[in-house]
Amino acid sequence: MRTSVMSQMQRSFSIDLPSLIPLQLPSRRETHLWYILPDEVKSTSLLKRYSQFLSPIEKDRVDQMRGDELKKNALLARTLVRTTIARYQTNKAVDPGSLMFKKNMYGKPEVDWQNCKNYNVQPLHFNISHTDSLIACGVTVHAPVGIDVEDKERKIKHDVLAFAKRFYTTDEVNFLATILDPEAQRKEFIKLWTLKEAYVKALGKGFSAAPFNTFTIQSKPGTEGGYSLCKTSEVTANPLEKTEECNGRWKFDLLELAGSHYAAVCTEDDQADEGAFSVDTEGSIGFSGLFITSFSFLQELL
Amino acid sequence: MASLSATSLSFKAPSIQSTRIYQVLRKPSSFQSISFGRFQSSKSLRLQISCAAKPETVQKVSDIVKEQLALSADTALTAESKFSALGADSLDTVEIVMALEEKFNISVEEADAQNITTIQEAADLIEDLVQKKPAA
Repeated sequence: MRTSVMSQMQRSFSIDLPSLIPLQLPSRRETHLWYILPDEVKSTSLLKRYSQFLSPIEKDRVDQMRGDELKKNALLARTLVRTTIARYQTNKAVDPGSLMFKKNMYGKPEVDWQNCKNYNVQPLHFNISHTDSLIACGVTVHAPVGIDVEDKERKIKHDVLAFAKRFYTTDEVNFLATILDPEAQRKEFIKLWTLKEAYVKALGKGFSAAPFNTFTIQSKPGTEGGYSLCKTSEVTANPLEKTEECNGRWKFDLLELAGSHYAAVCTEDDQADEGAFSVDTEGSIGFSGLFITSFSFLQELL
Repeated sequence: MASLSATSLSFKAPSIQSTRIYQVLRKPSSFQSISFGRFQSSKSLRLQISCAAKPETVQKVSDIVKEQLALSADTALTAESKFSALGADSLDTVEIVMALEEKFNISVEEADAQNITTIQEAADLIEDLVQKKPAA
């Protein structure tokens, strides 16, 4: 199990986009994480080709974005989702444009396999997240996934502890309060935000199903980058009587992408197996239980 | 092809019956669906009765949004401007709501905070909450 960071550039002289490189589906214990850095995509002709993949509704949403940067990022987000999912169809070359999406009853996007032309049905789950400078897509099989990315340097306009008191749990506020350096505190706040967002997105039932102050995420002692979730019920009159339910059902991982962003990954796991942490000789890091690949792709057209 | 769409607002039922205005928007493209925090909800579209906020409130909200999202002063914002179309993510939305709470001295419920998607919705919610505050 390893993480490999690949940056791939292909030069193509054909007028059509080259066919997508196929991918093997992740195993049940793996999450694949793919990302694009929008600043690396500069070719307007390339962006035009990408827009061919989008459905009319998606094109509409791109047009609604205010400003060229936001339009471009919205386009790239849809391109990333479509091309990534298309690549997992290993038996044939499929058109990313013929993927159809639908929403679950709470509004979480999913693949609408019934209506995809030429696609084999796959137990594939995905979730996307983006900031101005990074767009990411997580893929799992058999289990829902939620991801959230944030710029490490993102400034919070409000006082971090006041913000946390308003939205996080008491345990999380207490944890943040122990961090004296404001920069370090801000970073931990952001990390917690991405982890909590990733959980809500993995759950897929909307924010009201899991308000941020009803669950605590804390780092697992003895692991690096491992986190666990504890549900707290704060509805008791006596604050000392919090009922806590810490289950291993939800797996978290927090990593840094491109040196600039935090990315939180959350999946559901019915096998409560604790993963070990290993490093291989190529300098990439693996977590058994989570396999993460990052791929920044850039193709130039003549 | 013109199609009908409606803005749906997630209010708690106001305790005071006030004058209601039936708010319906016509948009040339697809339905404006109810936004559910991070996702666009596909729940059935409901036409809801809502109270339209005062222009001054809409202006104040616009100013706060511009500041939070670091938009240029000449960015044209309308009441219908969607936070997501301006590049706001969930963290931005929550910060905007906190700034609105401070500005208007109100308190917004978590669920309401995450469900605000446009300037109009924010302004309407603010006026609803301000109206419900006990007289000083």
